[in-house]
Amino acid sequence: MRYINQHNSRMNPKDFYSKLISVFVFFSVLVFSSCKKENTRVFDQSPDTRINDALTQYGSALTSSAAGWNATIKTGTGGIYHFHFRFNESNRVFMYADINLETATTAKESSYRLKALQTPALIFDTYSYLHILADPNGSVNGGANGQGLISDFEFAFDSLAADSILLTGRVNGTKLKLIKATQQDFDAWQNGAWATVLAFENINKIQNYFKRVNIGGVNYDLKVDPVARTILFTWVDGNGNLQQFVTAYNYNSSGVVFDTPFNAGSQTINGFEVVSWNAGNFTLNIKVNGTPATIAGATQPLKVDLGAPQRWRQYAINNGGLYWISVNGFTINGVEDAFGIKTLKTDSSQYFYLLYWPVPSGQTFDALAPTFLIPSQNALDLIYGIAVTPTFSPDGRAVFSYLSDVVGPYPSTGPAALTRTQLLLPQGYYFIQTGPTTYDMVSALDARAWISWQF
Amino acid sequence: MLFLLGLIVLGSCKKEDPLNVDNVSDLGGDTWVKTSLDQWLYDTLVVPYNIATKYKWDQFELELNKDLVPPDEAKVIPVMSSVKRVWIDPYVLQGGEVFFKKYCPKLFVLVGSASWNLDGSITLGTAEGGRKIVLYELNDFRNKTMPGYVPADSAIPKQMCHVIHHEFGHILDQNIRRPVAFDEVCKGLYTADWINTTDYAAHQDGFITAYAESSPFEDFVEQISIMLIEGKSGFDNIVNSITGTSIRGTTADQAKARLRQKESLVVDYYKTAWNIDFYSLQTRVRTAIVNEIY
Repeated sequence: MRYINQHNSRMNPKDFYSKLISVFVFFSVLVFSSCKKENTRVFDQSPDTRINDALTQYGSALTSSAAGWNATIKTGTGGIYHFHFRFNESNRVFMYADINLETATTAKESSYRLKALQTPALIFDTYSYLHILADPNGSVNGGANGQGLISDFEFAFDSLAADSILLTGRVNGTKLKLIKATQQDFDAWQNGAWATVLAFENINKIQNYFKRVNIGGVNYDLKVDPVARTILFTWVDGNGNLQQFVTAYNYNSSGVVFDTPFNAGSQTINGFEVVSWNAGNFTLNIKVNGTPATIAGATQPLKVDLGAPQRWRQYAINNGGLYWISVNGFTINGVEDAFGIKTLKTDSSQYFYLLYWPVPSGQTFDALAPTFLIPSQNALDLIYGIAVTPTFSPDGRAVFSYLSDVVGPYPSTGPAALTRTQLLLPQGYYFIQTGPTTYDMVSALDARAWISWQF
Repeated sequence: MLFLLGLIVLGSCKKEDPLNVDNVSDLGGDTWVKTSLDQWLYDTLVVPYNIATKYKWDQFELELNKDLVPPDEAKVIPVMSSVKRVWIDPYVLQGGEVFFKKYCPKLFVLVGSASWNLDGSITLGTAEGGRKIVLYELNDFRNKTMPGYVPADSAIPKQMCHVIHHEFGHILDQNIRRPVAFDEVCKGLYTADWINTTDYAAHQDGFITAYAESSPFEDFVEQISIMLIEGKSGFDNIVNSITGTSIRGTTADQAKARLRQKESLVVDYYKTAWNIDFYSLQTRVRTAIVNEIY
């Protein structure tokens, strides 16, 4: 305003116009400066407009694929699972999954929606096959109670391309990858190709501990962990030594795929083609590099680890005089905890694990006893057990003989009694070392009973 | 001219009014294409009672530090119709529609799994502020009308019923306070250590459950809830089964007398505060539960 005042004393028409121009200039500056603020935005649209655009774009991408999407997810526990999703425009999704026989056979309908959380998110908002992996109930998916297999069903969009969408779980950070499916991919689910492949999970229904297959003239024992999705090969090499190879596996529409190919001497094995499961005689028909093979039960180890029983017992003595534990008790004919030892309880405590204690401190015998957790004290309790003496035979077996009851009178019926009778099997047990501090103890009678010990 | 310019100045900036909120995502709540399930919930619970049921996943209704999953859609109608039979219908018949509509909690949130606690125990129901009730473990819900029902399945429907009656008891207590005499019955025995107590040990001190020992506030609604879901004879069985002296020195006779005194205080409270015949309500609730699970 001072500029105007300076020219106020001598006013003439020329001055008037020059003053008017000054006013224009002045206001123009005001106009520009007041609006210039709004033009400093990094984006030319508001955040709401942009997020709505993004949601619309993702939504139409999801529903655009007529044959749906092939999805792959890797859970926090390491397993890789495949899904087939078909999204429609009414917030419904139809899916298959290679989790088990049912999920691979029957399409399940559930709900989904897109929502602006911190970033655009895809939420599978009612229970579907995808939720089986994340379910905190361990009995649903084999994971730990309270966390399941550590997976997600709320995902943030990472990227969108013409035929793929990448997402990240919002809670556990699991990666979900969607690839546009072809009609053949969709048909593979609909006509049961994946269901045939999932028959591989029946391998643990084989009633013997040893699951044996002959590939290229060599016998291999397979140990499959369907929760962690790992497969362990054991065989005897040309020098008569035991060899092992372990790999994670997942499925495709024709069979089992190994994460790490198995070099079996004359051939490299990338996986098994699954042909069929024979429920009558508990055998699994597969093809290895095109050659048919059969996985069946066997009653004896490929090669007895002669020193294993003593090594197992001595390990506990050498490492602090502690004991071996087993949570699940005996597996009989492929049925885990066949005696129901996990159901043992008292008024104030419940079964926690079974222990085998070589020479408890100050004693001269070995002890087998179930332990009980007293929740109110968060303490373990021994209520009863048996004292036994192991005998080690030259052919690599351990035979346990009964001495007496210890701590308290041992039950004469029920899961504890059945466990005792099984342990005292006259033929004894072979020991299979499965890790640095894990052993499986397998019935020498017929390999139809076994128990896994961990330290 | 200046006035005109002023208009231009104002007009030119108005276009970019930053307070335009027309397109905020999800303003006004989540939307989705309604299904027959949404229609059923609307017709059965929203229209008559103004009770909303949230069955689609919304993390912000739940504890953020828990791994939970949403319910299977197939379980929603069985669970909510069971809730109607064991809670809504008995109260509406006994207390009247106006009473029920005025005081019922207005939001149910449904969860598929149980909620695992750090100590390995699980939570089957929680509630907030007299408004919201969260029901868990829907995916394992089975009543006797559903295929594959075994007696062991009764634990979940019964526990849900316990939670709902417990929380509704809180709402009643917060609107018309429980009798002062109730707090006197077990005065001095309330303890934060209730978590290490069994229900039977609680009975021996004159409490209906271990949780009832936590405070008179909880004691009152536990008393209501257990009396309703166990029925008259079930409650009598609990009282009559008490023997011996508790570790805190309560004799069996004292314990029985305390539970009986609380029973009569609850019955009086329902009559004087709400003009509800408690024993008649009890029969209705128990009959409904028996029809669900036995």
